[in-house]
Amino acid sequence: MFQRLFNPSSIAVIGASKDEKKIGNVVLKNLKAMGYNGKVYPINPKEDTILDFKVYRSILDINDEIDIAVITLSANQSIQAVKECVIKNVPFVIVIAGGFSETGEEGKKLEDELINAIKGTNTRIIGPNTVGIYIPRSNVSTALTLPERTSLPGDGNIGFISQSGALGLLTMDIISEYNLGVSGFINIGNRIDLSEIELMEYFLKDENTKSIALYLETFKDGRKFFEFAKEASKIKPIVLLKGGRTDAGAKAASLHTGAIATNDSIVDGMTKQLGIIRAYTEIELFDYAKVLAYQKPLKGDRIAVVTTAGGVGVVTSDYLTSQVNGVGLKLAKLKEETKNKIKKSIVPFGSAENPIDLTADGSTEQYDHVLEYLNEDENVDGIIVYALYQTAKIDIDLIDVLEKYMKGKPMVVGIMGSKIGKRMLVEAEKRKIPAYPDIERTVKSMYALYLRGKYLGD
Amino acid sequence: MEIVEEYDVKQMLKKYGINVPDSMLIKDLPERLDIEFPVVLKVSDKNILHKSDVGGVVINIKNMEELKEKFNEMKNKFPNSKFLIEKMVKPGIELIIGSTYDKNFGQTIMLGIGGIFVELYKDVSFRLIPISEKDAYSMIDDLKGKKLFEGFRNYKLKKEDVVSLLLKVSQIVSDLKNVDQLDLNPIIFNEDGYFVVDAKLILK
Repeated sequence: MFQRLFNPSSIAVIGASKDEKKIGNVVLKNLKAMGYNGKVYPINPKEDTILDFKVYRSILDINDEIDIAVITLSANQSIQAVKECVIKNVPFVIVIAGGFSETGEEGKKLEDELINAIKGTNTRIIGPNTVGIYIPRSNVSTALTLPERTSLPGDGNIGFISQSGALGLLTMDIISEYNLGVSGFINIGNRIDLSEIELMEYFLKDENTKSIALYLETFKDGRKFFEFAKEASKIKPIVLLKGGRTDAGAKAASLHTGAIATNDSIVDGMTKQLGIIRAYTEIELFDYAKVLAYQKPLKGDRIAVVTTAGGVGVVTSDYLTSQVNGVGLKLAKLKEETKNKIKKSIVPFGSAENPIDLTADGSTEQYDHVLEYLNEDENVDGIIVYALYQTAKIDIDLIDVLEKYMKGKPMVVGIMGSKIGKRMLVEAEKRKIPAYPDIERTVKSMYALYLRGKYLGD
Repeated sequence: MEIVEEYDVKQMLKKYGINVPDSMLIKDLPERLDIEFPVVLKVSDKNILHKSDVGGVVINIKNMEELKEKFNEMKNKFPNSKFLIEKMVKPGIELIIGSTYDKNFGQTIMLGIGGIFVELYKDVSFRLIPISEKDAYSMIDDLKGKKLFEGFRNYKLKKEDVVSLLLKVSQIVSDLKNVDQLDLNPIIFNEDGYFVVDAKLILK
């Protein structure tokens, strides 16, 4: 059933407009800009063509099956439009308008009318108060941001479900800078019908999706989510950015437990129970979703660090091992044999002790050797590698070496710098090597692999 | 909302194999006591949830004479109530285990560093009921005060005791089905083992 949402053959835009300032125009423009190759049916009672598309007076005039109807009308007008979609037997209707329950009692009444309009029918609503969906694989975007001012990511392995439309689009704009992709984005908005659970079910089955990123401010049904995610989390990694952490939320309680039980303390406990990785920013959400999509979980907490810059090794070790301003993992104690082999491969003033420092003399070939030795050392559970392109003996081939060791122990890569750094990060992304532009993000992403491994391990 | 009397809550805990101090529920003072001194005297009344706030608790009563005196004072204050006499528990480390019903997430369980400062330090960890043994161990790991389990001065908490308690409380709340709030606070861990010193239960 969800195939028709994620890979639609036809999309109707109810409220299509010639006016470039109207959403009914932007949605059409986005579909065009994306190169959507299914059929597009703009609906407007007064126009004949918009953006070269033939316009229809009503959805009921279209002699074709419609997979998705995007309604860009006001809240009031949307209700009649939904009713017509029900008559037309449209499976998925995206109601973009705001002005429903998020605005108060009056809006809530309108929302109830929407719910009643689809009750007992085959029509499902996404939203209202949503920017809709973005599916790069099918070239579908119902986003209301201007295509010339927004970058959106390409096809990828992260399924993204967001309660906020704008934050979702902005985050995708940010990650597209490094070519990180998504397998689909759905903004559930006011979530009167289609819920985060049903969409997670889809992403669990979708073979392109390797991890699920969630931005939620509330859970439609917390207990149901718990029961569902107990199994779901075993199948694919889930990362959650939960908005509204500081809402007081605790009930008027006469006992201690009730008084301390804020919504966030319960969410925190639940995510730990479910092995869901918690992100606290939009950047962390995709950092963790990426590492979990590309890399295997860590089976222990002993990490080897390889760098050509001593200070980078020192700060990484601090961040890696400290409980305060750090993640509390361990630096691996290398076997003597490993150290001896490394010593022979690197310059005498380098360090064969973990963190391993190849120094500015470090070459692509040395990385290859060191990574081989670390992969053979059973005292090492995971490897953090810094690929720093600023020195002479490192060349583009280092990415090939890193790609080769993606088959080995869990490895996370740090690539620091501006212009060259960015180019190399994009190159790493192309090969699905989890790489990050700074120490903190590199270490924290390794920690996400640790949490996943710990959850799956015992 | 229905408040369950402390004595009944503790009898139920006992049935689930949770340690509570020796106690007896009385209307008038008996001739002799089957409980060793020192004891604690508490008012036991459905309408009084926070006993110490109304002067309904006297601790460290050392002999029969003292008990008679305190009992008479208490009886004057609460003429229509029943009373609970309990063996006084030696000091130790105080933990809290509780449960609360959340309308979105359902039954939850909490472990924390207990006593009267619970709400000040808020060193607590929540999970949704039912919990597994693994969940119980990870709740201990969540606490900033988890060092108490490695030994601190003369105190050392046994993880197994706390895990077993958590699993039992999870079971109780599942079995009862209608718990709104439950507080076992403090649970005192001393050289004799552990004892639930105060237990409060409110049903939906």
